[in-house]
Amino acid sequence: MIHAFLKLLLSGILVSVIGIQGLFAQTLSVTGEVKTPLSLTSSDFQSLERIEVTAKDRDGKEHRYAGVPLTAILRKAGVTLGGELRGENLSKYIIAKAGDGYEVLFSLAEVDAEFSGRTILVADSVDGAPLPQGVGPFRLVIPDEKRPARWIRELKSIEIRFAK
Amino acid sequence: MRNIPLLVALAVFLSSFWVETKEKKAELHPYKLEYPSSFGSRFVIPADNPTTEEGVALGRMLFYEPLLSSTNTVSCASCHEQTKAFSDGRPLSIGVSGKPTRRNSMSLANLLWVKNLFWDGRVSGLENQAIFPMTHPDEMGQSLEVSAKELAKTTRYPSLFRQVFGTSSITGEQITKALAQFERTLISADSPYDRSLKGNYTLTASERRGMELFMRGAAPERGVRGGNCAHCHGGAKLMQEVFHNNGLDSIAVADRGKQEISGDELDNGRFRVATLRNIALTAPYMHDGRFNTLEQVLDHYNEHFHFSPNLSHELRTSHNEPTKQRLGLTSSEKKDIIAFLHTLTDSIFITNPAFSNPFETKK
Repeated sequence: MIHAFLKLLLSGILVSVIGIQGLFAQTLSVTGEVKTPLSLTSSDFQSLERIEVTAKDRDGKEHRYAGVPLTAILRKAGVTLGGELRGENLSKYIIAKAGDGYEVLFSLAEVDAEFSGRTILVADSVDGAPLPQGVGPFRLVIPDEKRPARWIRELKSIEIRFAK
Repeated sequence: MRNIPLLVALAVFLSSFWVETKEKKAELHPYKLEYPSSFGSRFVIPADNPTTEEGVALGRMLFYEPLLSSTNTVSCASCHEQTKAFSDGRPLSIGVSGKPTRRNSMSLANLLWVKNLFWDGRVSGLENQAIFPMTHPDEMGQSLEVSAKELAKTTRYPSLFRQVFGTSSITGEQITKALAQFERTLISADSPYDRSLKGNYTLTASERRGMELFMRGAAPERGVRGGNCAHCHGGAKLMQEVFHNNGLDSIAVADRGKQEISGDELDNGRFRVATLRNIALTAPYMHDGRFNTLEQVLDHYNEHFHFSPNLSHELRTSHNEPTKQRLGLTSSEKKDIIAFLHTLTDSIFITNPAFSNPFETKK
């Protein structure tokens, strides 16, 4: 009886922990070949340069995604972009990792708008609402790609590495 | 001058040591890991533990060695039987204490490509992994130091360790290194499914339908039906190193899975997405062995899973029927998927003499 009550109490606490704090506790880390490693929260995202893009998700429908350009985050961390993206820095790459361990790679050059002309977004909202649980708080959105396999949900970390 | 023959004899005697040492070094032969090119080489073998024929042979002996347990009755193979694709057929395992372990014994296949081991991915690298079962009080229950001493007392092991590691005494680290070398060789890539990819086996109609359902995601708007299994269990190796909450419980309380390691609420009830290779041999299923049959597993994914707050996105969003919240496959579709899963049974892997108990073959 007491055991059952305790279990109920425990699960109640867990539910509220997950429900209330789950999303807010999440951070996006930026590490590796950086001047300043970052650990960004949802509120940090509000103080960075924000943009909005329209792109087609897996459902085939257009959605409005808002958030911070990936390059703005990389620049804040002191990653070699723009004029510094030359010579050996062109052998740098990014490993973006999701909460479930899924990993995808970008060359540093392909994500730099000055270099490739493309904009990659770290989104925190879709169609005016925060990203739902299981998708957010952060998701990569790459508008010009035909398959959204690199649109990582629950983006947890961005690591910049040198190809060795 | 009378001493010349003696000196010559001494020189010959001493040079024999020199030759012997040189030969010892040369005796280590690199082990050639063979696997389909589609599996790729996304793995790292530690520089201080290269895989050698001799190291693998020693690791195989240690894998079957009960002296590594406190009761001298339990070896790695007790819970990882080759005939069951190196699982043990129990919901939870029984080690030296007789008390069930916390989680289901995992099949050991294609670990070469796994970075973070265990159901919750808590340990990086096979060398580090081996420490846990050997020292856990409910598994083998013996410190590595004691195990090293036990092995040193035998007639068999000291020379083998000397040959592989070049040192006069046996250490716990060497035990884990040799075990890791052996485990890297446990490659399963010769199932009927693998042979069908090479054109050496023709899938039956049911197996083929099952494979298509397995590989494809549902898209009812385009009239496409699918189980979407491959989203998490796909790829050439039918294994991806990801950790998901598959809705076994509404909230995982008794065993919180990856959350217990990361402290992150979003990891509640997240466990390794297990390899499906040899899955027909590795019942019961899930981290707690709660499902006895593949039919029960399919029913779970199709009809029963809980909508836990951090349920895998793919499970939440895969529907074949607009009216069904879950997968909504028919019973004959489920049967086809199970028929396909049976084609992943690699009978060469489970009978390969190179992986079997070396002490039994010597009898």
